[in-house]
Amino acid sequence: MIVIGLALRDLVRDRFFFICNVAVVVGMLAPLLVLFGVKNGVYEALIGELLSNPATMQIDTLGNNGFDADQIDAIRGWDDVAFITPKVRSQFDYVNVYVPEARAMRDALVIPSGTGDPTLPEGVLLEGFKVAVSPQLAEQLNLETGGHIQLITQAENRNRQLVLKVEVVAVLKPSVASGNTVLAPYALLDLIEAFYDAYALPDYGILEGRPLSERVSSYEGIRLYGASLEGLAALQTRLESFLAVGTRARTREVEALLGLGHNLNLALALVTSLATAGLFAALVFSFWTDVMRKRATLASIALLGVPPSRLALFPLIQGVTAALCGLALSFALYGLAARVATHLFGTGIPDGKQIAQIAPMQAALISVGVLGVIVLAVLAAARSAQRLDPASVLREGM
Amino acid sequence: MMASAPGGTGTKRNGGSLQVDHVTTMMRDADRTFCLEIRNLHMEPGRVVALSGPSGSGKTLVLELLGLLRRPDQPAQFQFLQGRAKPIDLAALWRNSGSALAATRGSIFGFVPQSGGLLPFLTVAENISLTQRISGREDASWVTMLLERLGIAAVRDLRPGALSIGQRQRTAIARALAHRPAFIFADEPTAALDPDASEAVIRLFLDLAQENGCGVFLSSHDLDLVQRHEIPRLSMQIDSIGGAVTSRLEGVA
Repeated sequence: MIVIGLALRDLVRDRFFFICNVAVVVGMLAPLLVLFGVKNGVYEALIGELLSNPATMQIDTLGNNGFDADQIDAIRGWDDVAFITPKVRSQFDYVNVYVPEARAMRDALVIPSGTGDPTLPEGVLLEGFKVAVSPQLAEQLNLETGGHIQLITQAENRNRQLVLKVEVVAVLKPSVASGNTVLAPYALLDLIEAFYDAYALPDYGILEGRPLSERVSSYEGIRLYGASLEGLAALQTRLESFLAVGTRARTREVEALLGLGHNLNLALALVTSLATAGLFAALVFSFWTDVMRKRATLASIALLGVPPSRLALFPLIQGVTAALCGLALSFALYGLAARVATHLFGTGIPDGKQIAQIAPMQAALISVGVLGVIVLAVLAAARSAQRLDPASVLREGM
Repeated sequence: MMASAPGGTGTKRNGGSLQVDHVTTMMRDADRTFCLEIRNLHMEPGRVVALSGPSGSGKTLVLELLGLLRRPDQPAQFQFLQGRAKPIDLAALWRNSGSALAATRGSIFGFVPQSGGLLPFLTVAENISLTQRISGREDASWVTMLLERLGIAAVRDLRPGALSIGQRQRTAIARALAHRPAFIFADEPTAALDPDASEAVIRLFLDLAQENGCGVFLSSHDLDLVQRHEIPRLSMQIDSIGGAVTSRLEGVA
């Protein structure tokens, strides 16, 4: 279209004014991008640190309770629950871990777990007769993934030991498991509890005792993990209300960090609002003044037969061009500032990450927002151009 | 003599005529009311007409009215006639979209403002060809002919800022002629030119009118120049009663 070509030609000739408009956009946008990026980067690092420890999302019930299977199933169906496992009575938690090949044995705490437990390495299936062990236990017994061990339990009122032969499917990271620990599917712990409760377990050579079919499982407690940091506090409240028991979680720590993020967002929104208002006002007057300054040029174009609606494109194209250049330059400066900031203050930031981070979707939204503000700002100028009287070229001798 | 239009480009246009009757417009300010009335004006193809009258008589306003730059007040007749084609009701264009008005203005009229009104970011050649691009009648050889005829071929690649006032005015004239309009409205086209350049411009207008059937309306204070070329004059008649001034234009050219 002819008007677009004319607008761009004029922009090249009148480049100092164009540079001023770009500078106005960059002057507002680049510092905001850096501020936003740093807020993102620091906040994400803190969140990442929290999330790196699965215990952050963990909620444990307090005290000795007697939950039933229906309650556990109901909670398992909640959307904000990532993983749940019941717990057996705590006096049955300890077993002997024996490695037949090495003839070595250690005491270990058995913790109920299962596939999907955030404590486990990703992708590990923990079901049936499969267990995960803590690094300390693995080191003491020279265990590796794929190795076989025996979990041995002995009760005063039983003539025989309960021996469960299991396979080690994972050695846990030191950050998630300390001491001598075995993570086992809940069914295995339930079996141990039944053994202590004097039930017969013929499959394991325990022939004496009450028939297992008479046993009704009762769960002393629950360990669960929330699906999101934001939903953790609400989940804890919901759980306490549903079970009518107290719980323990790192909710306060999580809420403090989320509150910090919320406050930072508010502060940033305030700064952005003020800066946007300033940018808008500056550009409205700048573009409008530009149209007034170029009245003769625009009126001449109108005189030659360009309709008012197309004449309005003249300032619009110039404004959008300034916006695009301003955006590109702002993001370039932001990228530079992010590298410098990471170099200077990036201690503690994970490798490959920058202290300032803006996701592609955030960048796209910022770009659309800035373009929107600039298009709005240029509308007044476009309207003025549209209303220009082409006769002014004749009458005013411009 | 003016060179004829470069061979058979198909862009040569026939002239047209303007039929105007009882077209009025009114301007008011704190001190006075100014009313311009054009009665029974018929402009034939291929005629050059000089508009004369004292300063403030509304010569520029006449050009604005006829050139579709100013809305007329309920005209009795304001038509553009071209051959056997259906007459264009120019007054009706004001009631429709601005696009049709602008397109018609750009298509059948050419304007030569006093000041040139050139676009400062385009070269002389680009300024001249702009009217062709807007009206969709591009013809580079016609532009070249105009550049040569008006003596500005040497500055074709310069921008208006590098031109003398006379060169700018000649560029504006070439631009007004570039798309071969049916009518040209020239507001004091020779005011900024030296006598030789003024002669050349008037000669060009006369040749265009004769060879292309292009009608030329020019306002000028240079009555000697107008008389020397035997250009018919239409004079503005002014009546003034109290604070009300009425300027009338009437005639067949």
